[in-house]
Amino acid sequence: MKKIFSILLVVVVVAMLTTLSVCSSSSSGSRVIRKIPVITEPQTEDACQFETTKLLVDAMKSLGINAELITMPWTKLGDEIWFNRDKWDITAWSFGIRPERLDPQEFIFNVFHSSTAKDGYNFEGYINPEYDKVAEEQRKTIDKNKRQALVKKAQEILANDVPILFCNNPMQQFVYNTEVFDSNSVVDMPGLGILNYWTFININPIGNVKDIILNSVEDFKAINPFYLGGIADGWAAELIFDRVMRLGADSLPKPYAAKSVEWTSDTECKIVLRQDMAFTDGVKVTADDVKFSYEVPLLTDKSPAFKPFVSDIDTIQKVDDYTLIIKLKQPSASFETSCLSKMPIAPKHIWEPIVKKLEGKTDTLETITRLDKNLLVGSGPFKFVGWQQNEKVIMEANKNHFEVPKVDKWICIINGNMESTLGMIQSGDINFLSQFMGDGSLLKEKVDAAGNLKMASTTSIGANFFAMNNRRAPFDDVAFRRAIAAVLDRQAIVDIVWKGFAVPNDSIISPNLTFWKNTDLKYPSGGLKEAKKILKDAGYEWDKEGRLLYPKGKIETLKSNY
Amino acid sequence: MSGKWTYIRKRLFQMIIILWIIATILFFMFRLMPGNPLVAYIEPTFDKEQQDILMKQFGLDKPLYYQYIVYIGNLFRCNMGVSFFYGDTVLNILKRNLPNTLYLTIFSLIAAYIFGIFFGILLAWKRGTKFEKAGNIGTIITRSAPQFWVAMVLLVVFSFKLKLFPSSGTSNAGVIYANELQKLTSPDFWKHLFLPGLTLFIYLQGLPTLLMRSNMFDVMGEAYVEMAKMRGLSKWRIMFKYAARNAILPIATSLALGIGTSMEGNVIIENVFSWPGLGKTLVDAVVNKDYPLAQGAFFLIAVIMLFMNLIADILYSVLDPRVSV
Repeated sequence: MKKIFSILLVVVVVAMLTTLSVCSSSSSGSRVIRKIPVITEPQTEDACQFETTKLLVDAMKSLGINAELITMPWTKLGDEIWFNRDKWDITAWSFGIRPERLDPQEFIFNVFHSSTAKDGYNFEGYINPEYDKVAEEQRKTIDKNKRQALVKKAQEILANDVPILFCNNPMQQFVYNTEVFDSNSVVDMPGLGILNYWTFININPIGNVKDIILNSVEDFKAINPFYLGGIADGWAAELIFDRVMRLGADSLPKPYAAKSVEWTSDTECKIVLRQDMAFTDGVKVTADDVKFSYEVPLLTDKSPAFKPFVSDIDTIQKVDDYTLIIKLKQPSASFETSCLSKMPIAPKHIWEPIVKKLEGKTDTLETITRLDKNLLVGSGPFKFVGWQQNEKVIMEANKNHFEVPKVDKWICIINGNMESTLGMIQSGDINFLSQFMGDGSLLKEKVDAAGNLKMASTTSIGANFFAMNNRRAPFDDVAFRRAIAAVLDRQAIVDIVWKGFAVPNDSIISPNLTFWKNTDLKYPSGGLKEAKKILKDAGYEWDKEGRLLYPKGKIETLKSNY
Repeated sequence: MSGKWTYIRKRLFQMIIILWIIATILFFMFRLMPGNPLVAYIEPTFDKEQQDILMKQFGLDKPLYYQYIVYIGNLFRCNMGVSFFYGDTVLNILKRNLPNTLYLTIFSLIAAYIFGIFFGILLAWKRGTKFEKAGNIGTIITRSAPQFWVAMVLLVVFSFKLKLFPSSGTSNAGVIYANELQKLTSPDFWKHLFLPGLTLFIYLQGLPTLLMRSNMFDVMGEAYVEMAKMRGLSKWRIMFKYAARNAILPIATSLALGIGTSMEGNVIIENVFSWPGLGKTLVDAVVNKDYPLAQGAFFLIAVIMLFMNLIADILYSVLDPRVSV
């Protein structure tokens, strides 16, 4: 009897101790920081992100944080992070390359201003009124030098507050055939590299091959002036449809379809269009087309993807067939980049009937996805010839454009097999490698061995980082965030994970945007020693098992949700 | 004859039931995957109203049972929905890609079976010799070699190194075919078809070769073959007129089955060669989380396989009067 009682007692005690330890890993009522799930896409979806996250988890563990790597496929991850903003703690994330991100507005304002914390790009929930003021001010400061100072000040605040863990800017590699093209005619744009509008227009064939043949991993979805399709769709749309302004080779906006863009005040600009432009069906490009192209996303719900780019516009007034006056609701420093250089000029005579047909229906213009010659009529330097699904898109030079391309055709081959793509650039089946998702060091090796290939690498304006949920403890504490930043070895990530094909960064602004990048930031990067000092100074402690404890007076009240 | 029609009607009914089960599995498999399938297509700048419009556009705002009823009802009307990625109907997309898969499959299958029949006869005739042993080993190796590996080897050797054949697609860079007839009559198309076709041929020829060889062993022991030998008929006449004609019956039905089973090989081969067929469409749809298109492609493959199974059964009973349905 005694023996049975003893056994029962031991079982009960063990059960109680187990329950207590389980509870302490969630909401324990103790100072021990709960288990922190660090979310990333699986290795098969994004190997570099996955490996980087492993390194972060190890770094957090070295501080005594019970960090755990959690993988989620993108469909779930995007959903969780975007629509359940109170649930997650820290996640890997990246921003892709879009030309409008050459202007700092998108990153400085949209990603960190408190107004976008609820359902916009500030999904990490960073709230700082001082930062908000600076972000708002730079948005409406037209004077470039004054704006530069504000953008640098914004970066300074971010480097101090560390709302997100800056990691690196990946490098993009492009390769072209030097037996086909004159190297001097290839244009390298900071932040975008050689894959840009100016290269497509100016690249000069020197041999028998007169076409530029590039590749895309993904098929074309929709080349539509009212829809932001995929990456390849964007390349084609830029060439088929002109814009009022274009970002020049120096990444600064310059008049293009416009003869002049004159700011008569901080909120009013007068646009005078060129008179020598016509769509490929012969109809002249006029102010009506520009007005129509901007008003569809502005005044209707038929182009939701472009709505944010015209949101600063108050009114558009047509003065005559080639002159418009645009009035803004408030001064906007990025208007020329994010609107005038972004919005395609669509032929009103083709798209107005389509818009009218959709009135009263829930369908938007994004449902118009057919790639057909009669629809894809633009005034740009290339005209659409044809599409073979999952195979290629062909465009030919528009000889009536004011800037006729030097190549005869622009041909994009769809090939999702990276090994095969590597073979194609070597064999000449393609002569411009525009997308390569494989090993950059292998690509360099093949290029060096080939003799007739040249590789151009550029640090992209896209960024890889970890978003910390500033709404949830301990990430609501600046000291805690600074400590994680200090212990994360960004150089090791670049060397080990990216094999040197990335650049470590301490800001959301890419290092190659030299005019905007603040190079004097005091971003925490002193390793484990500095991280521990930051935590100690903030009152954090470690228990006997090396687990990190909240400062005295604070207990764990949250639980891990993953 | 009426027995045969009853059998066909019964099999068609069974096919419908099996297809309904497959359609149901596909429906739930994709919808029960974690996350919002439209995350890839919703711009972060969309407000709630815009996201709701997109969900409504793709019918994802309704309860699951309602979506299922609509889905099954649409399938009966050959409506497989609208692709998330392309915005076009799934049926249109599959109609564009299916011919490329059929050309690849039929070309390779016919070549594989013609080769397999003759080679199988030869192996049977040379039974016990070194030639037969080498032939058997070679056939088994080619049958078991992973198709993606064979495809990559052929690509590297014949396309990238020797530059004899193109590496991807159905046509040269600047060419778009106006219609299927222009495609089929273009030498460029056949040049592009050669390597993927050869890859599939290498895989497919194993079955008819070994089957024919095995059937020939059975038939060559029959009394009428012995009689033909005693009559002094030539080797070739005995092989082809007496033995092979009877040994070929199972090959005919395996050809019908082969169309269905080669779909599995097409998925790999089409992706390695970027051949724009059903297999590539399927993989791209899964990668792009384009559920309606992935469902539609899977379902079409299932229809083809079941249909060819039925053809195989009917064919066998037609070719061999001893077999009744």
